Amino acid sequence: MATKSKAAKSPKPGKAGSAAKSSAPGASSAAASEAKQIDDRVAGLVESPLDACASDENLQAVLDILRNRNEPVEVRLAALQSLQAASFSVNAFESSRGDYTLALRQVAEDPNPELRQRVLGLLAREKDGFAQKKLLAGLKNPEKALVPPEKALQLLSYDVHAETYAAARAIVSNPPNAMARREALRLLAADATSAPMFEKILRDKDERAEIRQIAASALQALKPAKLQAHARELLLDTSEYEDIQATSLTAVTQFGDGAAIAADQELVKCVDRLSESGGSKVKQGARRFLSKYGFTTK
Amino acid sequence: MNVELQINNNLAANARFVSWAPSPCRIRVTDPSGVFLPVVNLQITAASAASAGAVVFRRNATGAFSNSLSVPVPMSGASVPFFVAGRFGRPSVNPGDVRIEARNGASLVGSVQVTVRVRKNANLLTPGERNRFVSALAQLNNQGAGRFTDFRDMHTSVSSPEAHGAPGFLPWHRAYILDLERELQAIDPSVSLPYWRFDQPAPNLFTRDFLGVSDALGTVGFGPNNPLQFWRTDGVQGINRRPFFSTATAPPGLRSEAQTLALGNPALGNLYRLFRSMEGNPHGSAHTSFGGSLSSIPTAARDPLFFLLHCNVDRLWAKWQRQGLRFDPAQPASYDSNPASRIGHNLPDTMWPWNGITGGVRPPTAPGGPMAASSLVSAPGPQPRVQSCLDYQGSVNPLSRMGFDYDDVQFA
Repeated sequence: MATKSKAAKSPKPGKAGSAAKSSAPGASSAAASEAKQIDDRVAGLVESPLDACASDENLQAVLDILRNRNEPVEVRLAALQSLQAASFSVNAFESSRGDYTLALRQVAEDPNPELRQRVLGLLAREKDGFAQKKLLAGLKNPEKALVPPEKALQLLSYDVHAETYAAARAIVSNPPNAMARREALRLLAADATSAPMFEKILRDKDERAEIRQIAASALQALKPAKLQAHARELLLDTSEYEDIQATSLTAVTQFGDGAAIAADQELVKCVDRLSESGGSKVKQGARRFLSKYGFTTK
Repeated sequence: MNVELQINNNLAANARFVSWAPSPCRIRVTDPSGVFLPVVNLQITAASAASAGAVVFRRNATGAFSNSLSVPVPMSGASVPFFVAGRFGRPSVNPGDVRIEARNGASLVGSVQVTVRVRKNANLLTPGERNRFVSALAQLNNQGAGRFTDFRDMHTSVSSPEAHGAPGFLPWHRAYILDLERELQAIDPSVSLPYWRFDQPAPNLFTRDFLGVSDALGTVGFGPNNPLQFWRTDGVQGINRRPFFSTATAPPGLRSEAQTLALGNPALGNLYRLFRSMEGNPHGSAHTSFGGSLSSIPTAARDPLFFLLHCNVDRLWAKWQRQGLRFDPAQPASYDSNPASRIGHNLPDTMWPWNGITGGVRPPTAPGGPMAASSLVSAPGPQPRVQSCLDYQGSVNPLSRMGFDYDDVQFA
């Protein structure tokens, strides 16, 4: 239910209020003048965000700008940013939060993709059920999608449900594009049943380094001992790529068991060799490893 | 003859850190052999490279600082107090890059390595400083299973009224980032929290070796040597952060530092109340110059950039305090204590979650327990009050010193 502010008593609209008022009909139609007017209104909205909730009148004016599809999109985005910044000042904003959420839901289906994406992001971060339903529906039926699948997956990661994992697995099996697969993998990095898949990806030299990096991070969370074992093997593999060896070094340096590593002469010798002969990233990582575990670097 | 030098009145290695605010120190004879006088005059000086940290001394809690100090020290073993401070403009670059020496004539009779540790501009850190910070942060997060989880849980929608929209906004966040910094220092004492100066370009901050580079989707990518590639919060891997500006520049529309520091015209009423409008711009505007976690209260603390942003907010407050000497809680211009404010926002109030109070108007849980202790100072205590977060340098009361300083905010 939308609520009205009873506490706001400022009789003078601030810059945000002025920005709203300057949208009155009769504005100059000359392009330069119009552009300047847009710039002024954007500046007015962005520079004084607390004015947006200084009074109920101001807040409603800024919400009207956000909702109004006839307004220039730059001004609507500025209105959204102003409201967001004001929302950090919770006590002043609290009585208006209902109106704010309602407006965001209305704009979630706006024709402008940037506005849609930003609004859905705001709602998703508040774990808003309306937004989550819309995002999941779009993943299941691309014709209903309000944002691309990779963005939907990213936004759903703010509040992961079983249904989200199912959607992510479907994307990994049949990815619409590489970025969507990447985001699905990031989401599944919290799913214990996905650990075997991440082991496979980490060892697969045909996968992109970025994807193998995600797999390493996922394994470190899901099966830390497995990652440490794989990282060791990747370091000993002289045909392995530099980025993956550097990620492996970061994993064993950051999360390794000091006693076990000190006793692993084969690994220490290998890292010592890499500190001399590896590429620049591997050398850097190898030297950090040797320093962390108390071995002298040459 | 040998002497013992205690920095921050403490022999422990993790107490050998100083900042611009003077640290109480002690010197005493531990081995009097070879000296037959009851008291000997020792010369205390410091040695460091030109590019390293530098310190200054004074004998008492007040008075001028000097580059060296002559101290009469009894052979009985009794301690003699003196004070050490970092020389403003000369912070350390490497841990222990300043050596404090005590000499009896030409003979070196004791020495100790110290670090001038202050909070620095993140864009200007050396690779070593950057790497130590990032490594400590990643360890604190420990893949979402570490102590960082408490910090993430302290800053949510439910707890927001404790920290926002009222006078306690600045003290609460001062305590919050100090608590985090102390936890980082428990991992690596040489680390201090850097600040993101959001009114200036910070291209060195938004790199794959530091806080990462965002792609078009807002997914942040890290280099293979960066341990933040393992970052995880709320069970979810990685960081979402989509800048609405080129990270080679500063975000547009934010109040500049000069504009922020100009807030608080005495003719317009309570100074602090006016200054606090910076909660909207630049603070809120800096948050919302990005899409992603940082732009919403419930998720902002998932992004490490949050803490660098708030370090700069705190630095601006410290500068504002310094320019008008507004450190004293007893001075009305220093704060806006008002009976109408909710609990937690008035000077004598304890602050959640460190006070452990839950239920009623406070949030239902209090993650993290008391404020992390420091080996340098006792303030602000395990359960900080609003009033204990104003005099952070101890310029009004030396016991209020909180143990941090900013590279560009001199001791008052």
